[in-house]
Amino acid sequence: MLSLEHVTKRFGGLTAVRDVTLEVRAGDLLGVIGPNGAGKTTLFNLIGGYYRPDEGRIVFEERDVTGQPAHAIAMLGLTRTFQIVKPFGSLSVLDNVMIGALTRRASTRQARADAERVIDLCGLGPHAAARARALPLALRKRLEVARALATQPKLLLLDEVMAGLNPTELAGMVELVRRLHAEGLTLIVIEHIMAAMMRLAQRIVMLHHGEKIAEGTPREIASDRRVIDAYLGEEFVLAEA
Amino acid sequence: MRAILAQRWGALVLFGVAAVIPIFVRDAYFLDTLVLVLLWGALSAAWNIAGGYAGQVSIGHAAFFGIGAYSTALMGVRFQQSPWVGMLVGALLSLAAGAAIGYLSNRLKGPYFALSTIAFSQVLLIVASRWRAFTAGSEGLPVPFRPGFGTLGLGDVAWAYLILVVALLYWGIQVWLEHSRFGYRLAGVREDEDAAQALGIPSRRLKVIAVTASAALTSVCGTLWAQKVGFVDPFYVFSVDLSVRFALNAIIGGIGTALGPFLGSILITSLETYLRATLSGVKSGFTGIYLIVYGIVLILVVRFVPEGLSGLTTRLRARWTRAQA
Repeated sequence: MLSLEHVTKRFGGLTAVRDVTLEVRAGDLLGVIGPNGAGKTTLFNLIGGYYRPDEGRIVFEERDVTGQPAHAIAMLGLTRTFQIVKPFGSLSVLDNVMIGALTRRASTRQARADAERVIDLCGLGPHAAARARALPLALRKRLEVARALATQPKLLLLDEVMAGLNPTELAGMVELVRRLHAEGLTLIVIEHIMAAMMRLAQRIVMLHHGEKIAEGTPREIASDRRVIDAYLGEEFVLAEA
Repeated sequence: MRAILAQRWGALVLFGVAAVIPIFVRDAYFLDTLVLVLLWGALSAAWNIAGGYAGQVSIGHAAFFGIGAYSTALMGVRFQQSPWVGMLVGALLSLAAGAAIGYLSNRLKGPYFALSTIAFSQVLLIVASRWRAFTAGSEGLPVPFRPGFGTLGLGDVAWAYLILVVALLYWGIQVWLEHSRFGYRLAGVREDEDAAQALGIPSRRLKVIAVTASAALTSVCGTLWAQKVGFVDPFYVFSVDLSVRFALNAIIGGIGTALGPFLGSILITSLETYLRATLSGVKSGFTGIYLIVYGIVLILVVRFVPEGLSGLTTRLRARWTRAQA
């Protein structure tokens, strides 16, 4: 469904993403892990059309989308959420999600019906009339997901939608992601919370200094020497065992 | 939702009163004020499309006003064309200029965009005030008055109704922006451009469309103003004062609301007209005093109703409902 071929992105002297090759098949739930500054969000910005890669090719559903603008890529059915949430602050939750739904709908009436459905799915029902800016973080993260879902994506990129949540909220978000995946959505998920990642992802890719240093099932990743050294640490391995 | 309904009723009352006034009032001075209130309101509504709904705050909209005013004056004086032709020429020129400024808004953000719009209006001021052979330079240009609707030489009552129709139209465009697909998506662009793009919204194109439409609508009012007043002075029509007035009416009335620009215009225009009439005659030293009052009103509004006068109606309503309960 999505393939990255030798994608590289440099910012001046810094190479944020170096020669990354990646394959995502329909129905996948791919996890991306790595220490801060490893290039995870840069990778999303490249896939989503926010940055143009210096080298390499990005192909989505047999279509070369390298260097295409973000809105055109979103129209093809590939959308993303933002690590630092970007709600339409002064609008209501319903309006936020409606704007997403209007991507596929010509009439506001249909879009509102779509939005209400997505809002319920994401557990935002009681907050539909609230101003987005007034929501607590956990709900703003959900709103971020809801708005993206309303565009009816085929591939959804989630950038740390679980960061900063308490255990209950975290469980709810894991449940939501799992449900979306079960309903047939393909996802790439960036997350630091390994416990969640181990349970959710089918495959995990590890980035370090912009390079892909490991790829495999959660079990393989957790026992990979390079991953342990660069990211997880010995304590994690002991705790898991 | 209830807040929006309250504002729709407010608009109905406001335009209804404006429609009734010319039937009973024949006082030229009063009708003049009514025309100005509606015209400045419509101009702020035009500004609001870019500054309020699209979030592209311009302090150079006098440029488009001036283009509209000069187009009709020049078409009338130099080419003996009807004001309607002048209005069309002005609107087309403003479409082009608006598209250029709109394109600029994709390169320059916030204050830099605002500054570039001022620069643009100042460039036009220099052209208009120096190009003596064509624009008559800094002396200004009288607009030929020929009675009749085809030549926009109208009586006071006809003016009042013509401007009322324009005001209603501009108000309607804003209402449409609050309910249409385009308007919703534009709101997304205003709130967060990156997020809007992630939802498939071509944010740059939407901004250019909004700024371009705003420019053309401003130009049309510029033409009407020139026909009504009968004289085009480059230092007035391209002034920063005028650009600020468009923005200020909308900000005081409620930025990004359909009724706001008109509420702001009612307060500011009537206040200004009243103060000018009562104070300027007293002593020549008082001529600028309305500016001080202007400033005080602005401070009071920003301090006590930062969301604008249209927010006040919502708040009063909320208090009333609470008192009932």
